[in-house]
Amino acid sequence: MLSIALPTGRVLSEAQDLLASLGLPTAKLRKAGRSLVVQDGNCHYLLAKPMDVPLYAHYGIADLALVGSDVLAESASSLIELADTGRGRCRLVVAGPQALDSRFWGHESAIMGLRVATKYPRIADSHFASRGAQVRIISLNGSIELAPLLDLSDCILDIVQTGTTLEANGLVVLDEVAPVSLRLVASRRSAQLRWQEIAPLLEKLDAIREETL
Amino acid sequence: MFHSSMNRLPRGCRTVGGAKARAMERCRRTFMSRFASFGYDPFLPSGLQLIQSAWERLPEDLKDRTVCLTSPFGEPCCLRADLTLAAVAYLGAHHAPQERPLRLCYAERVYRTSPPPESDLESTQIGAELLGWDGEGADGEVLFLLLDFLQSLAIDATVVLGDTNLLKRAFQGVSADRAQSLTAALQQGNLADYAALVRGLPSPAADLAELPFLRGGPEVLRRGAELFGNEALATLRGLADTLKDLGMGDRIRFDLSLVRELDYYSGPLFDVYGGPSGRALGGGGRYDSLLADFGILGQALGFGLDLERVALAADEGEDRPERALAWAANLPPSEALAKALAYAERGLDLELSWLTSGEESLHLARLKGFSLWVDLRLGVFLDTGTGERTVPTGGER
Repeated sequence: MLSIALPTGRVLSEAQDLLASLGLPTAKLRKAGRSLVVQDGNCHYLLAKPMDVPLYAHYGIADLALVGSDVLAESASSLIELADTGRGRCRLVVAGPQALDSRFWGHESAIMGLRVATKYPRIADSHFASRGAQVRIISLNGSIELAPLLDLSDCILDIVQTGTTLEANGLVVLDEVAPVSLRLVASRRSAQLRWQEIAPLLEKLDAIREETL
Repeated sequence: MFHSSMNRLPRGCRTVGGAKARAMERCRRTFMSRFASFGYDPFLPSGLQLIQSAWERLPEDLKDRTVCLTSPFGEPCCLRADLTLAAVAYLGAHHAPQERPLRLCYAERVYRTSPPPESDLESTQIGAELLGWDGEGADGEVLFLLLDFLQSLAIDATVVLGDTNLLKRAFQGVSADRAQSLTAALQQGNLADYAALVRGLPSPAADLAELPFLRGGPEVLRRGAELFGNEALATLRGLADTLKDLGMGDRIRFDLSLVRELDYYSGPLFDVYGGPSGRALGGGGRYDSLLADFGILGQALGFGLDLERVALAADEGEDRPERALAWAANLPPSEALAKALAYAERGLDLELSWLTSGEESLHLARLKGFSLWVDLRLGVFLDTGTGERTVPTGGER
């Protein structure tokens, strides 16, 4: 029996569709309600906050997990990233007031010391370091767009899907950080010891992606 | 502010006591005695290493994680992040060529930061090194002893084997830059990136595309030989045959894409899994190039396991040993101690209780989690769970 950790919230229904297309049982999972552990056929599903999902696989509680590449990069957990499912697509961006735009196109000294509000402090640190700038990171847990409006930060680093929330708060995209999509990952132990159960799922996923393309 | 009775430790550090420490000590003792009986000498290296001696020889992934400090004599040092380096340096400095090979085993603390999401700064490692041999048998010896040790603790362990040379061979037709990127993707466990890199190669490389999927039982070796040639798989096949002949065939699996630092490792390498954790208990492999760095010819191989994870895995696999609280029953101390010694010599783990009341002593035994309580005056054993008379496992004592 495989244990699979899934993120609650925005991408759960996409994850459920994906699992169904891989031939895994999802009837009980779709009716989980407030249950966080669901036994559905030969699968044991664990529902967790997106940011916590990689940890369940890292520590071996879950064999597999579906997790956003943003969360995966932020958690830096030691996992085997099996495949990009191509679902749950969005982008990680740096956003802020239009007035800041020109500073992102010049010398790195122009963005040195910026105050960046984010729920991805590790990604933010690494992204700005790769640009040669050391910034001040303000870790928040939600409503990130509020920070520059109230002068808590100069800009934000966050995911954006349609851009509506940014626009509603008078913010524009200043810099692209990375595309984001839902990834299928495995614990290091399961990728070695349960490969015979995992490999067929990867083959099905490949076939689905080829059909889509 | 924190409570005045709290001895707060630096982040990432820990003090281990109680049942966990007992379990770790039991594993440590089993490990050291098992390897000692095969000629592995205990090794107690210095906790501090000079940066000027250690730095160039540390594996790249350890350099960022090493704890550096200055000794009271003003020398730039690092806390011991790894025991292999100390073992090789010891061989080079203390043993003449004719004394080789050298076999060492250890149970020591190592200090290094852990990759996220962990935050440990220190851990206890048990391991063994076989240094300076130049013929066959060493890989099989180390793996056999390792598996035998884990089996003796009833750990349901699996060793996953790979071969650095096979991977170097597989990447031969690829430019150095691309080979480095492919290796990095495999090291990071990012099969999606690896697949994308293979798709981007100038000419199709179906064998490379299949490489990360070659993990499992002996069938993997057959497929590997079809893709990369029989010779490329000879080392792994030889090891597999040795361990199979020793009845350990079901304890090994293969991952032909298993890789660590290509510049550091030089032959077979392995990860060890067991118990409930998603992380490996440890791993090891061949690192002949480090030996060559010290001007020593021959093979170098070894492994390290996290003692705490081993103890946790052993706890899953085995019944905890019986422990008794031995009530002195108001006997003179000399008499109580002599009786306790007699039980201890017959293999019973016990702790003395000098309380005057037998009832209180029994209550204490329950509180402290002892499975047995014994009245040393009467020689009567009670099961602390039921309160009924019993005989300790192992027969009448």
